[in-house]
Amino acid sequence: MNDISLFLAYSLVIIAMLMSYKEKIGLEKDLFIGSIRAVIQLSAIGFVLKYVFNLDNAILTSIILVLMVFNASAVAAKRGSGIIQARKISFVSIMCGLVVTLGSLLLFNAISYKPSEVIPVSGMVVGNSMVAVGLLFKNLLGGFESKRDEIEVKLCLGAQPREAALTVIRDSIKTAMLPTVDSMKTLGIVQLPGMMTGLILAGVAPTEAIKYQIMVAFMLSGAVAITAAVASYWAYRGFFTNLAQLRDL
Amino acid sequence: MKIIECIDVNLIKRGNTLLEHISFSINEGDIIGILGPSGAGKSSLFRALNMLHTITGGEIRFNDQNILDYKPEELRKQISYVLQKPTLFGNDVLENLYYPYQILKLKPDMLEIKKYLEKVNLPEDILKRKPAELSGGEQQRIALIRSLLLKPRILLLDEVTSALDDENSRIIENLILEERHSKNLTVMFISHNDAQAKRLAKKILYLKKGKVEFFCTVDEFFEAGDRHE
Repeated sequence: MNDISLFLAYSLVIIAMLMSYKEKIGLEKDLFIGSIRAVIQLSAIGFVLKYVFNLDNAILTSIILVLMVFNASAVAAKRGSGIIQARKISFVSIMCGLVVTLGSLLLFNAISYKPSEVIPVSGMVVGNSMVAVGLLFKNLLGGFESKRDEIEVKLCLGAQPREAALTVIRDSIKTAMLPTVDSMKTLGIVQLPGMMTGLILAGVAPTEAIKYQIMVAFMLSGAVAITAAVASYWAYRGFFTNLAQLRDL
Repeated sequence: MKIIECIDVNLIKRGNTLLEHISFSINEGDIIGILGPSGAGKSSLFRALNMLHTITGGEIRFNDQNILDYKPEELRKQISYVLQKPTLFGNDVLENLYYPYQILKLKPDMLEIKKYLEKVNLPEDILKRKPAELSGGEQQRIALIRSLLLKPRILLLDEVTSALDDENSRIIENLILEERHSKNLTVMFISHNDAQAKRLAKKILYLKKGKVEFFCTVDEFFEAGDRHE
């Protein structure tokens, strides 16, 4: 692809902006800013990644992973306004999902700790975990509001906070995992994911690319499950006082 | 034997005084009617006794021990609170009646469940019904059984017969009296029904604006005529 083709492809964004203007959707400014940001961010990260990949330094790679998790947790925490320690919970839970899955893949020799392998894979894990934590927070807040009476009745019956909130906790974990489960179900039928497509475009044999994609799908389900479990079993505690009373939302 | 003792209890929530200088004690096996106008602090008192609210002053003692010394879940198993809104949960009624056994880590006893259903005039097939299909009165009766299955020492009842007709109210009252006699259960009930209070209570605790206005025997309270009007 040459630069002119890429430039011409921008006409598609202009179509979107025109449609937004005509239909009075009001997204023209966001589309314009978003497209410019995407170009700048991706160009910048392109240079950064080239430098990091060439340097092949484990410490620098680890710092980048931590920064990725830090940014993802900030975005996820915004969905959890009202949840005590939302930022800390999302950082630790996403980190747990990443460490366990990445650690397993390294242990199984599926990948090696090289920035060119670890960073793209971690990007997918962290991105999916971020969406999962955001959904989880939103669902916990909704659940504790709509099922307040049920939780209180269970407390009155002598349930511990965890027992009283179990339905809400389980619903939240399920909601957080559903997008990942659904996309795993439709892999190859509806979706031809970016990693596999990219590898094929780069000239890797399709069978090899598919193996990588299967690995990524397994890894994402594991990471999202761990992240959601850590986040929910930590976050629910904030809805109760230390005397097992429901806090006012 | 003294089972509950409130010593100069105060409860302030979000700047509102809900309970002020509440002091009284009740003995095991007593049935106490809690009367008073709306907003007098009756439900707040129950929430404080059940540790759903933390009192801001004074002390509540259960079994001669400060309630704060108990684990909340242990206290609530012994002082069971049936809320004004019954709130059944889960897919069916049976799930609600299994819940106390689950909390007590006991195997569900279907005979016991069926015995209670019969006592409150409900058919066995209600167990398979969804909570939302039940009338208000049916829900109240299931909520009461659910709390009794915990085998508490004290039962706090917040207007549990408000959605029942006279006949079913009497059935519930008889069950409460029977539980009191057979298990020495202590009962505190909130009611707006003077006739019910006369039938059921041994003593009356009359609250007004968060304070104890009267705490006396039923006869003394009603002999005094309209002093509580």
